Amino acid sequence: MSLLRTFLKRQIFANTHRVTVSTTRFASELKPDEDAPVEIENPFKKERRECILCKLNITPDYKNYRLLSQFQSPYTGRIYGRHITGLCKSKQEKVETEIKKAQNCGYMPYYYKDKAFLKDPKLFDPENPIRSHRF
Amino acid sequence: MPAYEFALMLRAMPKPELKTALKRISHAIFDRGGIIRNIENLGFRSMPYKTSAHGLVHREANYVVFKVDTAALSVTDLKEEYSRDVDIIRQRVFRVQDDFEHSCTLEEELLPPAYREEVQKMIEIGKTQVNRFTYKFKYNSGLDYYPFQK
Ligand SMILES: [Zn+2]
Repeated sequence: MSLLRTFLKRQIFANTHRVTVSTTRFASELKPDEDAPVEIENPFKKERRECILCKLNITPDYKNYRLLSQFQSPYTGRIYGRHITGLCKSKQEKVETEIKKAQNCGYMPYYYKDKAFLKDPKLFDPENPIRSHRF
Repeated sequence: MPAYEFALMLRAMPKPELKTALKRISHAIFDRGGIIRNIENLGFRSMPYKTSAHGLVHREANYVVFKVDTAALSVTDLKEEYSRDVDIIRQRVFRVQDDFEHSCTLEEELLPPAYREEVQKMIEIGKTQVNRFTYKFKYNSGLDYYPFQK
């Protein structure tokens, strides 16, 4: 029994000794918040996409019929949808109303695209819409 | 900022006549207490479609835009006067909207449907409606048989 007691004592002593030693070593070698995780923004976050009219800060106007004709089909004169033009909702709506105004004022044709503007640079590809469509 | 834009198409005519026509048009505005802020000349060009006005078919026109500040009541008056003017083929009056600042919402619109706000709203509305696929009609007659012919 006495042997067991001494053994236990020794065990406890050994344990406490080890623990104290280890704690003292850690405290002396490292400062508390040097290796702690740092709060940063997500480095893999993608850039916010914007439509071409918002990016260049253009408000569509019915007098600028050359710009508006770029949103018109060269075959039928109809206005391309939002899934093709890649505009945001408000700008697409604005473009559509301005095209209608321009057509009504006699600046733009209804059923075809002005042939002087046929070689204008393409703002989007009608063959590759953002969302698929049934045509 | 001008309140109205008068988009006018004037018939093809020599310069001095055009000058008098423009003078006549602007004097009509001044007589009603309006102010012309700006006159834009969009040039003489062929129209995308032929237009008949005052008994003549026109295929070319002078495009002019008047930016005008005037009372709302005088606009109908001006329109009536211009409709009688033989030199004006077509006139359109637009109220000028001031630009409102808005941020592009394209990023939110390109999200998958479940994350789009409008789709979430639609789902919420759908939850309040009767589900056609699981709805079972209850007779509520208190009888354990159907009294009419099925
Ligand atoms: Zn936008």
